[in-house]
Order: sequence, then structure tokens, then C-alpha cells
Amino acid sequence: MTRRTGTRDSGFGIRGFAIRTTLSFALLLWAFVASAQAQVPYERLLKAESEPQNWITYAGSYKSHRYSALDQINRKNVASLKLAWAYQIQRAGIVETSPLVVDGVMYLTEPPSTVTALDVRSGRPLWTYSPNIPPDVIVIGSPPVNRGVAILDDLVYVGTVHGHLIALDSKSGTVRWDIAVGDNKSGYYLTLAPLALDGKIVVGVSGAETGIRGFIDAYDAKTGKLAWRTYTIPAPGEPGFETWGKGNGWQTGGGSTWLTGSFDPELNLLYWATGNPAPDWNADNRPGDNLYTDSVLALDPSNGKIKWHFQFTPEDVHDWDSNETMILFEAQIAGRDRKLLAQANRNGFYYVLDRATGEFLSGVPYAKQTWADGLDAKGRPIRKKGIAPSIEGTLVFPNIGGAANWFSPSYSPQTKLFYQAAREMGTVYFKGAAEYKPGTAFTGGGGRHVQGDDASGAVRALDATTGKMKWEFPLLSPGYTSLLSTAGGLVFGGSEEGNFFALDAETGKPLWDTQIGGAVRGIPMSYAVDGKQYIAIAAGFTLFVFAL
Amino acid sequence: MRVVRLALVIALAMPVVAAAQTATDVAEGKKLFGGLCVTCHGFDGTGGAGPPLNRPRLLSAPDDAALRNVIAEGIPNRGMPRVRRVTDDEMRQLVAYVRSIGKVARPAVRGDAARGGQLYAKLGCAGCHIVNGTGGSLGPELTNIGWIRGPEYLRQAVLEPAARLPQGNLPIPARGYDEYLPVTVVTKDGAEIRGIRLNEDVFTIQIRDATGKFHSVRKSDAAVIRKETGASLMPSFANRLAAGEIDDLVAYLSRLGGAL
Repeated sequence: MTRRTGTRDSGFGIRGFAIRTTLSFALLLWAFVASAQAQVPYERLLKAESEPQNWITYAGSYKSHRYSALDQINRKNVASLKLAWAYQIQRAGIVETSPLVVDGVMYLTEPPSTVTALDVRSGRPLWTYSPNIPPDVIVIGSPPVNRGVAILDDLVYVGTVHGHLIALDSKSGTVRWDIAVGDNKSGYYLTLAPLALDGKIVVGVSGAETGIRGFIDAYDAKTGKLAWRTYTIPAPGEPGFETWGKGNGWQTGGGSTWLTGSFDPELNLLYWATGNPAPDWNADNRPGDNLYTDSVLALDPSNGKIKWHFQFTPEDVHDWDSNETMILFEAQIAGRDRKLLAQANRNGFYYVLDRATGEFLSGVPYAKQTWADGLDAKGRPIRKKGIAPSIEGTLVFPNIGGAANWFSPSYSPQTKLFYQAAREMGTVYFKGAAEYKPGTAFTGGGGRHVQGDDASGAVRALDATTGKMKWEFPLLSPGYTSLLSTAGGLVFGGSEEGNFFALDAETGKPLWDTQIGGAVRGIPMSYAVDGKQYIAIAAGFTLFVFAL
Repeated sequence: MRVVRLALVIALAMPVVAAAQTATDVAEGKKLFGGLCVTCHGFDGTGGAGPPLNRPRLLSAPDDAALRNVIAEGIPNRGMPRVRRVTDDEMRQLVAYVRSIGKVARPAVRGDAARGGQLYAKLGCAGCHIVNGTGGSLGPELTNIGWIRGPEYLRQAVLEPAARLPQGNLPIPARGYDEYLPVTVVTKDGAEIRGIRLNEDVFTIQIRDATGKFHSVRKSDAAVIRKETGASLMPSFANRLAAGEIDDLVAYLSRLGGAL
């Protein structure tokens, strides 16, 4: 199981037995000391908000707020923000990474599954690691991207497009262990940033477009041994199996788990969302609600048992994965304090659930949608007629890419607003044949986008509790821009055309912008070192870091 | 004798089977084409904003392998998307249908291309369009326009140039955006700029005016930005040409690039 793969370049060329022996002894001694003082113990992750100079988990905290408590860069001075340094990736590809910053080191992922450690002051690389990706790797359903790493103790964890989870030594990039999460020959692959819990690393898989049966896995953080696996599609005899009709559609039913979940340590619930059923646009062989696709699952992190579930889009035929980032926050509803979970779903609705019980509290559209007459009292969509994909094509909003997608929303505890980039775009949906062959596309149709001047986007600020829009900032096109809110009263975001900008978090007024020359697909974050705050964003083939 | 008889049976049976399969494929392919392709390539592949496909030779798909590749992957930056993934059966059906329309005798293009060429010169089209390296650059290059557009689209472009601006032939602005979109900008200090949009982002817009001069405008400096959707800087020739002359001009344009 433990297997060294890939190439690593630490910049050192040490030769000679004597030197190596001395060094080994020194390393042993060092390892002993280091194990006693692990760099990022679970306790640090639990209180990630208390060290805003670092960014130690994918979305900034287990609550996934993507909010920085740093306020050196603020409404008054953001207009003088300028480039501090840039780092160009090694191999062209789409960069969707959310870097981590820990104690002076940035851990960045590059496409397809490379990890690079950078000096946060200068941008100079410290080490880089690229797994050996087989040339016939199967990546169907998204470009070969990666969205970031997790860190726990002294290990950095990366998921790969050939379906592996690899643990690297955080100081050197050396492989500690490398395991196959799913069989890439059948289309399983990983793009998400893993989530580190207490002694466990949790990951999900991509691959519904090849007809996988999705699952969420937890691995022992030190050894890579599987701790538990929870399938997103029930097996015969399990609750929910009856929602797949009488055929064998459940075996190839999709339900990917390709984005990082959120976690509530007090309730001890891990929230993981699921993707579309397969085949995407043809439900002939899967009549029924298709649990637990397009859902959120609340799991017991100790054993993976499902405590509750809520399904956003039953029997989906539009590829509206529900994997979007879930934000955890607290608010009063009808005079009662509630622990809430909010998600701007790909299907165009903004949902608020009670995260202790899964009770549906509200759901309102935040983008143009033409498929539902709203949601019923339990949150189930009231579908319009004539919205199903067809041979001749059926125009429906939102589009295949959704009103939202993998890109991160943000929640500011200061403003109590949920910030989301919305995509205003339709698709002419086609139904086609679907034939399952392992490792090939199993989609049953597709679509033609209503694009160009007929589509648009917007950054929207929603009242987190009600979903009511407070302001919007229009974007030229429907992009894939993640947002970062800060204690400086700012929201950072980007555009497909290469704009990177700061908005006033209260009003949406643009306060600063720059053109960085490539579609902004990176996920912004903030850190501080030597008393100076930085904002990082990847666009095109470059990571840009700004400071005052 | 027995061997000969068996061979004869096979020889008789085989073309029948192959033809039946092809007929089904063509019929199924036509249905798929009606959904996926007809918007750009026109009914029966007679062309439109996309190239006509009712030709024995297709520029980007000289053989079936190339045609399959175009359907599977699209032609990036040339306006041809991968509309959707298709199964092997669907691919075979689409290819069978597209090849079948290439074999049908095309209706003869009305008009006299030589006379159309003279009209092109007389009307001063070269003031705004380049053909084989000669002409002005305000409008789209027409060197290979006969390959790129169908005759009906070209006729409409002459009569109602604003009805359908080109989309998807240029990598800039981006796929799906109207190309040569007329824009009027009035700056906060009162200056007016009118031209075609070259590019645009959230905060800026780039324009080339009728004299070829380039303008860069920050949107926050503009009092008015009017994207004139439904307009074109090209005048209509509907009232300047007789019906026969229009046929001649379309025939000339349809032959550009050696397309016919």
C-alpha cells in the first residue's frame, strides 16, 4: 500500500554514504522531536479562525466561510493594493487551487495534481511534487484540475486525477504514503482538497459522467488505511434503494462527492454534498428520486453513518450536482437560535437547513431558473412541465454548468451576508442514448449553451438567513469566480475576462480592480506575515499575490 | 459448385444488409442532426451561420475519421462547439447522415459569379472587407467566406446585415459573443465614440471606429455605453440592387475560397 511514486525536487543533491548516514541520524532525531510537536495538530484546525495570519484548511475554517479576520487591507486603503509577487505554474492547465498558508509556507496545487511549497514572503519555490499520472488517465466530467491540499500534523494531503490520495512530508514533499481511492479505469478521479479531521483524512470522488457509484472515504491520517466508506447510492436492502426503480441503474448511478465538505465539531456532524445521478440527461434506467444524489449527507465522522439527508434535486436530468460549498452559521429564525447550513445550489435555489436535524427552513431562487414553480414546504421542487431534455433540445435555465458550481461562496460574520457569484445562462438540453462501458462517457445527452452576449453573471450578496438579495455587482459573463470576504469590509472576486477586484462588502461598490490577464479560476484567500496582509488569487497560469 | 452458390448468396445478401443499416443510420442521424446541428448548419445541412455540409468534400472533415473528431471535439475558436458527447452508435448515425447529404446533388446556386465579382468591386465592398489580402479591415475578411457561410446567410448579410452578426469565428472577444457589434460610448466629458466592439471586460471596453482608430474606455468614465444589438455598421444593399444582382453577388461570395 505504501508506495513511492512520482518525482520530487527538493533542490538538494546529497551524495556520499558518510554524509547520508549522519544526515539519517539527524533526521531520526529531528523526526522524534517533530513528532512530539506536530506542526498542525487537529486542535489548530478546530480553531483555525483564531490564527488569521494562516489559512490552514480549504475554506478557511470547518464552517467554510472563506472569510479572513485580517483587516489591514480595508475599504479605505484597498485602492492602493499592488502586486507583491507572482508564481507561474509549471505546466499549462486550469488552476482552481485554494492555497494553504502555514507558518511562512504556502502549499499550492497545480494542474493536474502537482503540489508546490512556496515562500510566502518572496514566492520562491521550496519543493514541488508531481505524481506519476498515467498517460491514459481517465478524466471525464471536468478538466484535469485540483482545488488544493489538506494539512494535518506534519503531512500534506493531495487527491489526484488518477484516483489516488497521497500524503507528503510537509517539509520536503516526500511521499509518506500513496493509496488508490478509486479505480481510475472505471472513471474515478479526485479534484477536491481533502478535509483533515481528528486523525482522519476525508475525500470524495469525481466520475459520475462515467457511471461510477459515488462514495465518501475516511482514511487514517498516519497510515492511509481506510477507516470507513459511505456510498452515496444505497445497495439493495438499504433505505433509499427503492428510489432507483427495478433495474440496475443504481450500480452506475453517479452521485460523485467532488468538493470538500464542512464540519461541526460540537454536533459532531460532517456535511458532505453529492453530485448528479448518471446518466446525466437520460433517466430512463433510473426512475425515482435517485437517493442520495444531488443531496447533502450529515455523517458521523467516526464511522461514516448517515445521520440525516436532504435532497435538493430529485431525479435530476440536468446535471445539477449539489456539491457546492456549504456554509455553516448561526442565526435566529422565528425567535429561535438555530444552527444553520446554507448552500447556493447549482439548480438556482438558495437553501437554508437546520444543520442539527436536516429540516428544510427556506429556499428561494438567487438566479434565473425556469424549471420549478418554487419549492414545497419540505423543500422539494415543484417541477414545471416540459423541462426534460429532448432529442430536439429543450431550453432551460440554469445551464449545465449551473447557477453555481465548484467555485467558493463566502460568508461574512460582520455583515451576515452570503456572497455568491451567480451564472445567468441557459442551455438547450439534449437527451441521447446511454450505454455503460467502464471508463467511458455515460451521460445520455448534453447541451448547447446560450452564451456570449445572451448570458451574464453577477456577484450577489444574500441575507444569509432569508436568501433575500441585498446588492449585486454585475459581471460581463457567467464565470467561475470564487469569493473571499474580509474583516476589512471587502469582498474579493474575479471574472472570466481576467479582472480581479474588491467590492465593498456592505454595498457591492467596486473599490479596486486590476487586469491579471487570464480567466480567474483560482480561489482567493488571505494571509499575513511580518505584520503585512496579502491576498492570493490564481488566474490563467499564474498565482498572483497582492499587498499594500 | 456448392462453394460458388454460397459465395453468390453472400454476395447478394451483403449489400442489402449494409444498405438497410445505412438507411436506418441516416434516418436516426437526421433526427440527431435536427437537434444538435441544425441551428448553425441549416436544415439538411444547407448552411447558415455555420458552413453548408451538403458538399462532397468538407474542409475540416475530409474523411470520416476527421468528421468524427470534429463532432467529438469541436473546432476550438472557430465557432464549432462539441455540442454534447455522443455514443458510438450516435456518432455512426451522425456521420452517415452528414455523408448522405454530401452525395445529394445540390441545387444550383442562382446568379452569375463573374458579374457578382464586378458588382463587389463597383459597390466598394473592398472598402471594408479583405479578399485575398486586398481591401479594408473594418468588416470581416471574406477570403474563404464561401466555405464558412451558407448562401442563405450570405444573402441575408447583404440584405439585412444587422439581422445576424457573426459569432464564434474569432477567438476575441470569446465564443458566442457578437462580433462587429456597433457600440456608442459617450464619456463623462461629452466626447462620443462610435465603432465596433473589439473586446470588453467587467471594467473596460475596447472599440475601433469607422476610421480604424482604436479607443480604450474605462466604463466608470463613460456616461453612456450603448451596445447596439440588432444594428450593423454595414449598410443594407436591399434597395440598391435588383433581385438578379443580389443573386450574382451571393454567387460570387459563395465561390470565394474555391468553395463551389
